[in-house]
Amino acid sequence: MNGEFVAYSAINTLAVLAIAPLYMSLIKKVKAWTQGRQGPSLFQTYANLAKLLKKEVIYSPNSSRVTRVAPSITLAAILVAALFVPLAYVPAPVGGIGNIILFLYLFALARFFMALTGLDAGSPFGGMGSSREMSLAAVIEPVTIIVFAALAFVFASLNIFDMFVISAASAFPVTPTLILLAISLFIILIVETARIPIDNPETHLELTMIHEGMILELSGKNLALMELAAAVKFTVLSALLINLVLPFGLVTTFSVAGVLAALLLFLIKGAVLSGIVGIFESSMAKMRFFRLPSLFVMAFFFSTLTIIIEVFA
Amino acid sequence: MVPLLFFSALLMLVIGILAPLAAGGRDMRSVRILSLSCTILSSLILAAASLIVLLNGDSATIPLCQPTPAIGIVFSLDRLAAFFTFLIAGISGCVAVYSVEYFDHLPGSGRRNILCGAMNLFILAMVLVVASATTVSFVFFWELMAASSFFLVMYEYANEETRRAGVFYFIMTQLSTLFVFLGIIALFAGTGSFAISPIILSSSPLILPAFLALFTGFSIKAGIIPFHKWLPYAHPASPSPISALMSGVMLKVAVYGLIRFLLDVFSPDFWWGALILAAGTVSAVLGIIYAVKEHDIKGMLAYSSIENVGIIFIGIGLSVILNALNLPALATLSLLGALFHSLNHALFKSLLFLSSGSVVHATHTRDIEHMGGLARRMPYTSALFFTGAAAIAALPPLNGFVSELMIFVAMFSSIPLVDPFVKVLLFVTLALFALTSALSAACFVKAFGSVFLALPRSPESEDATEVSSLMIVGPAILAAGCIILGIFSFQIFSLAGFNLPLPDMFLVGVLLCGTTVLVYGFLYFTTPHAHRVSPTWGCGASAQKPGSEYTGFGFSEPIVTIFSSVYRTKKKNVRHFYDAKECLFSDGIAGIDLIKVFEEYLYIPIAKAACRTSAAIARFQNGCLDTYLLYVFVTVVAIIVFLGWSA
Repeated sequence: MNGEFVAYSAINTLAVLAIAPLYMSLIKKVKAWTQGRQGPSLFQTYANLAKLLKKEVIYSPNSSRVTRVAPSITLAAILVAALFVPLAYVPAPVGGIGNIILFLYLFALARFFMALTGLDAGSPFGGMGSSREMSLAAVIEPVTIIVFAALAFVFASLNIFDMFVISAASAFPVTPTLILLAISLFIILIVETARIPIDNPETHLELTMIHEGMILELSGKNLALMELAAAVKFTVLSALLINLVLPFGLVTTFSVAGVLAALLLFLIKGAVLSGIVGIFESSMAKMRFFRLPSLFVMAFFFSTLTIIIEVFA
Repeated sequence: MVPLLFFSALLMLVIGILAPLAAGGRDMRSVRILSLSCTILSSLILAAASLIVLLNGDSATIPLCQPTPAIGIVFSLDRLAAFFTFLIAGISGCVAVYSVEYFDHLPGSGRRNILCGAMNLFILAMVLVVASATTVSFVFFWELMAASSFFLVMYEYANEETRRAGVFYFIMTQLSTLFVFLGIIALFAGTGSFAISPIILSSSPLILPAFLALFTGFSIKAGIIPFHKWLPYAHPASPSPISALMSGVMLKVAVYGLIRFLLDVFSPDFWWGALILAAGTVSAVLGIIYAVKEHDIKGMLAYSSIENVGIIFIGIGLSVILNALNLPALATLSLLGALFHSLNHALFKSLLFLSSGSVVHATHTRDIEHMGGLARRMPYTSALFFTGAAAIAALPPLNGFVSELMIFVAMFSSIPLVDPFVKVLLFVTLALFALTSALSAACFVKAFGSVFLALPRSPESEDATEVSSLMIVGPAILAAGCIILGIFSFQIFSLAGFNLPLPDMFLVGVLLCGTTVLVYGFLYFTTPHAHRVSPTWGCGASAQKPGSEYTGFGFSEPIVTIFSSVYRTKKKNVRHFYDAKECLFSDGIAGIDLIKVFEEYLYIPIAKAACRTSAAIARFQNGCLDTYLLYVFVTVVAIIVFLGWSA
């Protein structure tokens, strides 16, 4: 671990933490606009998190230590995963940080703790959320791994840092097949961050909720940590998609001005992607739970298509 | 040095076998403690001996008896054998520590002493299978291992369920010995040697049948689908330490056999690897899909063992394929992944079996639907089970993740280097392997959630208390092993001389712990500590009842629905009416039953066919002297005619 990497870790983590809540508000804003409403302020999510941090925490009498520690561990796992995806500046990888499989399994770690939190209070809603979350995660996993295998194939590396270095060398997608992969990555983004048509993050109706169900019994700072973890996860997956497909602006050599410019550029690209997610969400209804596997089959199809093109072209 | 240690360990085990026999049927705790101390001591000695071999890298040959030059019982500890000896020793020692107090709670007074003795015999047999340098001693101790484990399974023989499991296990394990025996005879016929050494003349037509027979034999023992049915019967029926030994260790002896014969005897073709890979993938996926559905905690662990052995077979098969395609570095990575997963599975599966044994002891039920709320009642056991669950669900930075990562990396890296046909094979395997891994996370969230979290669902779980200290110490050593092997995996492989393209899990572990502490500490110092305990929101119900919780059955329902075509349910809908036109409904039965596919479509038809054949043959044995004279007469005439013909 060298000084450069430590500096990168600090900057990247702080940047992710600072940007993530903004995108959550932005999606809400876009959705409000499409519905002809004004919508909340762009800084509403920051205000919500700050308010939650000040509130008292309520625990269920049934809950065990899991509820007490899981929020911190979930956020920590997501933040470590965030280290694997440079937003603006790509340093040399250290000690296997950036391994794409490890990246995937850090999300699994966060999900494991979140699902246990859902079961801890003994509320039927929490159990429902955990059960659905783990089932969907199981079904999307083969798609994700095939997409990642296709990425590793295209970039001839298992490391996200190396992939970014290759993609940053050209302003546009390295190969046209990446556009097909982008569709699969977008579906993975929607599934992993529990958005419409998978899950509706704005309702607390038992028929629709997955992510909200798991964190229903949380309050105060525990809830804030889980919300922040979800926001960071969205930003990290967006960064993966953006920096692979539209890498222009990504820098590989360190200079203060260059990194700041790259961060600003990323902020804009991420905002555009959030806007797309917002419009995407507004334009369709939540799907029936058991219809979801067919959506995943579509993502699977695109990634397999990429592989076939890459293999035989 | 190594032979001396090896023999002293064997001597300790023999004392451990004989001491309970000397005590006869009397119920003496001191004898049990003596016997189990012998197990622990021999484990320590064996672990030391195998570590010496593993670190020095030179093998030790230990002749025992050599009646004729061709047939002999010779032991040899090379690095592979030492690795598996270490595995056996490590797990047996921890299981023995646990058993000291667990056996006190078992029914059956004096038989408990015999159980200790039989357990030592079982461990002795497994050590000697692994150390065997000739096929003769291999098959001899293989059978000893099978027989002694049968006694262990049958411990609670008064139970109808146990007897059924015992018979099932006995038949399957004898079938396994039969196939191993056939394979070894075919090898002898093909090569003329009983030594476990490379085949020089590989043109013999008997090589392929020998491999297939050995593969079948090892697959039955390892619980590869479709030979797996004995596992979910035998594991729940036997006492928990025995399940831990069988699932954690005995299955690995079969894995050892496969690896040993593949590496040292055969020079495998590409399609042998494809066969092993396919068998492994099917077992991994179906094993975990069945495990998700299971609500008997030990049955679930048994199915999960099938899954993990499947993963090990995926690693072995991939390594054979890559070797055949001339990619030795990736083949080594994949084989190391399989070996490391064997050790890891041994650790976390015996940990899970032992801690679930504690849970079953505390709640008097194996049904997870009757447990719940144990995290507050049994804090140490729940922490241990949690470690095992996190390791088996392949969560970084624990050991289960590292071995799966090794196989993943081998697959990812080999995909660009192989032919399109092999690419397709690898992509399919990769997708199914990922599915397996994610389903096992779902399965263990369900297990931990239903058993330890929320409200207790039975009065016994309500009154459950923490188990005694040795029943925590034994599994705690295994849990520590899971954490250490995970976090220091990179360093351990470097020490063993392998420089693998793996992430440094120590760094990841430090990052994870550091970030967690940072997040927790930041909030601890910057936000108010006010908290209050208030009932779970229950939609306005005045008091929360255990019945309103999400059950394990409900938890697995989405997965069951998504994979409904795999489960093969049978819908029953019988309705009776008062009138002939079927308008006035009187009564009826409706239900959805799960079809045990392999049992109903494979095992029972074969068993029925065997019964029919033997019934047909039995007709020749009518017990009447005249008939037998007729048989003799016909035989003599036939021989005379045959000799006249051939002369």
